[in-house]
Amino acid sequence: MEIRISGLNKHYTSEGRTIRALDDVDLTIPANEIFTLLGPSGCGKTTLLRCIVGLEMPDTGEIAIGGDVVFSAARGLYVPPEKRGLGMVFQTYAIWPHMNVFDNVAYPLQTRGEPREEISRKVARTLHFVQLDGFEKRPATKLSGGQQQRVALARALVGEPKVILFDEPLSNLDAKLREETRKELRSFLTELRITAVYVTHDRIEALSLSDRIAVMKNGRIVELGTPREIYFDSDRRFVADFIGRANFIAGTIASVSGTETAVETAIGRIACERKGAPAAGATVSVCVRPEFIRVVAADAGGPNVFTGTVESLVFVGDAYEGEVRVGETLLIFRVEPMTPIRVGGQIALRFDPRHCSLLSN
Amino acid sequence: MHKNRSALTPSLIAIVGFLTVCPVVMLVLGSFSQGLGAFGTFTTAKYVQAYTDPAFAEILVNTAIFIAGSAVVATLLALFLAYLNTRTNIPGKSLFGIISLIPMMVPHILFAASWVLLLNPSNGMLNLVLRQLGWEGAALSIYTLTGMILVEGLLDMPIAYLVIAPAMSAFDVALEESSRVSGAANLRTLTRITLPVLRPAILAAATLVVVRSLASFAVPSVIGMPGRIYVLATHIYRVVATGYAADYGLAAAVGMSALAASIILIFLYRRLTSEGEKYVTISSRGYRPAVIDLKGARYPLFGIVAVLSFVLIVLPVLVLIYTSLVPYSMVPSARAFAMMSARHWTAVLNDPVSLLSLKNSLILGVGGATLGICLSFFVSYVIVKVRTRAAGLLESLSFLSFSFPGIVVGIGFMWFFVQTPLYATIWALLIGYIATYLPYGIRPLTSAFVQVHGHLEESSRVSGAGPLTTMRRIVLPLLVPGIVSGWILMATMFVRELSLSVVLSRPGTEVLAVQILRFSEDGLWGRLSALGIIMIFISTGLVAAATWIGKTFTKVEK
Repeated sequence: MEIRISGLNKHYTSEGRTIRALDDVDLTIPANEIFTLLGPSGCGKTTLLRCIVGLEMPDTGEIAIGGDVVFSAARGLYVPPEKRGLGMVFQTYAIWPHMNVFDNVAYPLQTRGEPREEISRKVARTLHFVQLDGFEKRPATKLSGGQQQRVALARALVGEPKVILFDEPLSNLDAKLREETRKELRSFLTELRITAVYVTHDRIEALSLSDRIAVMKNGRIVELGTPREIYFDSDRRFVADFIGRANFIAGTIASVSGTETAVETAIGRIACERKGAPAAGATVSVCVRPEFIRVVAADAGGPNVFTGTVESLVFVGDAYEGEVRVGETLLIFRVEPMTPIRVGGQIALRFDPRHCSLLSN
Repeated sequence: MHKNRSALTPSLIAIVGFLTVCPVVMLVLGSFSQGLGAFGTFTTAKYVQAYTDPAFAEILVNTAIFIAGSAVVATLLALFLAYLNTRTNIPGKSLFGIISLIPMMVPHILFAASWVLLLNPSNGMLNLVLRQLGWEGAALSIYTLTGMILVEGLLDMPIAYLVIAPAMSAFDVALEESSRVSGAANLRTLTRITLPVLRPAILAAATLVVVRSLASFAVPSVIGMPGRIYVLATHIYRVVATGYAADYGLAAAVGMSALAASIILIFLYRRLTSEGEKYVTISSRGYRPAVIDLKGARYPLFGIVAVLSFVLIVLPVLVLIYTSLVPYSMVPSARAFAMMSARHWTAVLNDPVSLLSLKNSLILGVGGATLGICLSFFVSYVIVKVRTRAAGLLESLSFLSFSFPGIVVGIGFMWFFVQTPLYATIWALLIGYIATYLPYGIRPLTSAFVQVHGHLEESSRVSGAGPLTTMRRIVLPLLVPGIVSGWILMATMFVRELSLSVVLSRPGTEVLAVQILRFSEDGLWGRLSALGIIMIFISTGLVAAATWIGKTFTKVEK
């Protein structure tokens, strides 16, 4: 179901200071998509999620889920969370420690007073779906982190909610388990064809899980798009920086011709392939991600080739990550681990013009 | 969203505010008044009389030595036990848990009485034994300041232990390990690293013992008064309960200094504990602290702990049982066993005042704890979950009564109850008890509430349960352990309550501890012992019943 949010504001007062957790948020979350709210901590993403689910009350604005208005400040309307028919997975999983797995999962059905056989059938089906068959009688607190996470997912899914919401559900898992669970979650959600709202500060999680991402900062949505759009085409420095590692090289636009824009910078002229660039003379930043920088032979000619001295080199297993000094500018790059380079050596780098994006300053 | 909460906080502030502020205000008013019942005109005469009394200087010196000595004894013992338990491989660690539970089991007045039975100079059992063994010197006397300090120190040790032991087990071993790596041996690490880092906890424990011993009445009355050693608490008692004319104004004037000292100390204690939290780092990896191998010292040290437990738990009970059966004080022997009878028991069970005190204490224990825990439940809820500025005020208010010396609060309440029909009723005692012991209910409940993470409630709401269902199915079951331990603490405190009761209890509202004090003042040690054993049974019974009920009502799966 589609979620429509309009004019949402929410502020807190803490120690005499006013914090704008949500600053005039307008957002439509399309039906049956995995929609991620991404941003650094304190950007308002969790507050927005909690407003959707009904655990926080916004100051102004309106929220409608699938056509039903659940909150409207103007009409004085507020539907409490238990009446909204949603499912949510909490960061701490919020598994009730005094209940076993069955009771935890059955709880949403029990509160609706569904018949006993119906409850057992639905719980068994949901536990099967999250691959926890036979865990019914286990005390929930005795499960591993990943299993608890799946119990929380089962509990959120069992009542066939209109929308399922996730508040950083993977942040309490260790790195390896987090990766596995992320893939599982992706396949569960794709199979269900359900509207899912997912909150995270982890860019890999956001990029790999989502159909669509909204990047938030200071209570506002600063960028909205598919993972590829956000990654490749963001025209804001904050987003480009937050979504991945990047070099930002300041310069002025020298010429615009067809699909190519030339930018004059401290390290030389950079050719960028970019539509709709600003006119010549404008000051911009060229954003080049380290993964789109190639190390080439020192005598290789052509556009976008720059030579410099390797300042530092870190072996991270699947690659070398390093810094190279070109003139006065320090650039980060990433090369495959078999490349023969050393600290202090001269290397030549080539930027792929298709992946040099222009950010207006 | 939470409209019903907004009415809850003010009404709780009103109730708790009344309970804690009323006795203080009445004490202040009373201290500037002429006589109980009629406040009369403003006068400072009572202060002049109280603080120019030539005997008062000696009382202050006695009090200072008594509380400082008790704090040193209790803290050192607690430190020793906590270190052995948390940081070494001493055998029999379950014993330590039992030692920390003792204050609930053996009422202080009985513990003090048992030491009088053992060590009084005329016919104390240990003195009789020594004489039989041919001891020529003067008899050992418990009726000294040293005797008071040792007994009070032993009684307050578990409180100090409960403050120090958690801090010690939360201690990050890496701090010690890095000291060892830097070349310091065990002992040097202990003195240079461990103890300094634990200093806030140790000071907090000592401060708490100072507050407790300043408020202590059992030891000063049973041991100090026969030896004519008066401290503030017994001095106040003497002013209102002995002699021909009880002077509540004078008592209030004296009580003001005890109350002021207590309040200052308890705020110092709070400062220290919050500082302690800053100091002690809890290792997130959660592994057990490295244990120090005691090697050959393991069993000798365990011996010391075993003797201590014997002295704290077994000895007083044995002495009381024995005394309740023999006709007069005598060394255990074949003759003594032959002379045993149940006459003290029949005397007590046929004594209408003893039976009345038994009934009153039971009613106050069960009813008072139940009412007290209900109030604590809502107060803790507001403190932990609402957390507004008003909730902070409520927390400070409810913590304030922790510092109140019972006898001083009693004087304050006396000034209040005399104006009301509650005077000399069991309700007066009930209100006084709840006011004084409210922190005992609030503390376990706030820690229980803290453990119920907000997400547990919120996920229930999202799952379709309303606030009431959430309370019934999620919050309450998770709180049952906290409710049970709070109830046990309050009920056992109420059953043995002495210092407040000696002021508020009147003919018709006698309670167990007051009746036991009367027996000790009259030298009726056999009856005292019999009634004391009954008192211990009631406390133990209440603990057992509450634990059983708690187990039945929770199905917390482990």
